Amino acid sequence: MSEENQSCSLPSNAEPTATRSTVPMWIIVVTLVLVFIGFVFFDRHSGWFDAKVYAPYGSVEKVEAYQPGTGPNPMIVGKKNYEMFCASCHGSDGAGKVGQAPPLAGSELVITKGFHRLAMIPLEGLTGPIKVKGQEWNLIMAPMGAALPDADLAAVLTYIRNSWGNKAGEITADDIKTIRAEIGAHPVPIVGDKLMAMPE
Amino acid sequence: MKNGFGVFYAVVIALGLSWAGFVVAPAVQLGTAKRTTVLVTGDNWPLQRTGAATLGEQVYRANGCVACHTMQIRQDGVACEVTLAKPGKTPEVVSNLLATLKLSGLTKEEADATIEKISTAGGKAETHVIPTGADITRGWGVRKSVAADYLYDAPLQLGTLRVGPDLANLGGRMADANWHLVHLYAPGVVKGSAMPSYKFLFEVRKVGSAPSSDALNLPKEFAPADGYEVVPKPEAKQLVAYLLSRHADVPLYEAPFTPATKP
Repeated sequence: MSEENQSCSLPSNAEPTATRSTVPMWIIVVTLVLVFIGFVFFDRHSGWFDAKVYAPYGSVEKVEAYQPGTGPNPMIVGKKNYEMFCASCHGSDGAGKVGQAPPLAGSELVITKGFHRLAMIPLEGLTGPIKVKGQEWNLIMAPMGAALPDADLAAVLTYIRNSWGNKAGEITADDIKTIRAEIGAHPVPIVGDKLMAMPE
Repeated sequence: MKNGFGVFYAVVIALGLSWAGFVVAPAVQLGTAKRTTVLVTGDNWPLQRTGAATLGEQVYRANGCVACHTMQIRQDGVACEVTLAKPGKTPEVVSNLLATLKLSGLTKEEADATIEKISTAGGKAETHVIPTGADITRGWGVRKSVAADYLYDAPLQLGTLRVGPDLANLGGRMADANWHLVHLYAPGVVKGSAMPSYKFLFEVRKVGSAPSSDALNLPKEFAPADGYEVVPKPEAKQLVAYLLSRHADVPLYEAPFTPATKP
């Protein structure tokens, strides 16, 4: 430092010149320590620029840990799809409509232990007389569920089996996949008697 | 200039780093953002705005609403709450256990441990993920705002000042369009409202053969003279449609929470 001061106190008529001097070691050390602390903080809180990580979550693992439940709730997805595809005939309350569709609430086709027979109806369609809650119905149902993805159809059936007082358990997308594979690519409406002859 | 090249390189590096940090990095991070999926329901998010709401965004912009309103909900933390879903075969044992446990304000690990204890006792418990923070306590939102909420916004009007309340979830918390129209015309209907009147978005006109169905239902001190009615211009309706299109109330992967109502 003292040398530099001397170089500045030259006679006033001399042209001033820029000089170089080394950065003190302590500044370099402090800067490096600050950079290190910064990187440690960054590592703990940044989620490494992942677009899905926001405060207060510091990493993808933390976001993952706080997810509520696993995946879509079949009762909510099922209700949405039911209202879209089924409710116009079977009714939002599952009570069915005279001359249009039999009831689903308390129907012996719905509250069965197995679901093979039930899943066949939206996948293949149904025609010919069937008996629901002691009443004869002779109508045609198109294969409404054939074009739905497995998960959505499974959700609709789960919703039907667990609403309006029905309590018959869940159906998964894999179950629908298996049944769909049995049917093949070209469904034909099943006749009522044939359906009732099938295993539950 | 003795250090000309040094200065040049320093400028290139300084500008280059800011460009990389402020332009390239965000573009890499969020530039390809697409619609995302709502947790639990599996719906698409965000919803596309209606035509009126899209026009209303420009009305919002033109009237400088962004000067006094923000559209970003902040979340300071997250907590878990454990509730009993099924008491199981030994309800007394489970209820005795519940009395001894801390059930709210837990971290995820604590919540998992609590659920483990309850299930050992024979009960079945559920975890509720609850965002916390000042904005959420105020009732402005249920979770933090995330990039996906703004996917269809052009321009982005986040705002920096909160003279008025935050509007990020206005459609989710105050869905009455008529209330908003009345408030825009006569902010005085709300006690303590600091908002200026937007009377020029409305038309005061003589009642024709029959009163308009759009006419505002104003309290006496704000109502026009007898025989006149206040009718919103299209801009007012568009603005309200835009305000009601602001939603940040569904659980997303990046902002998870357990919805209050379960089927």
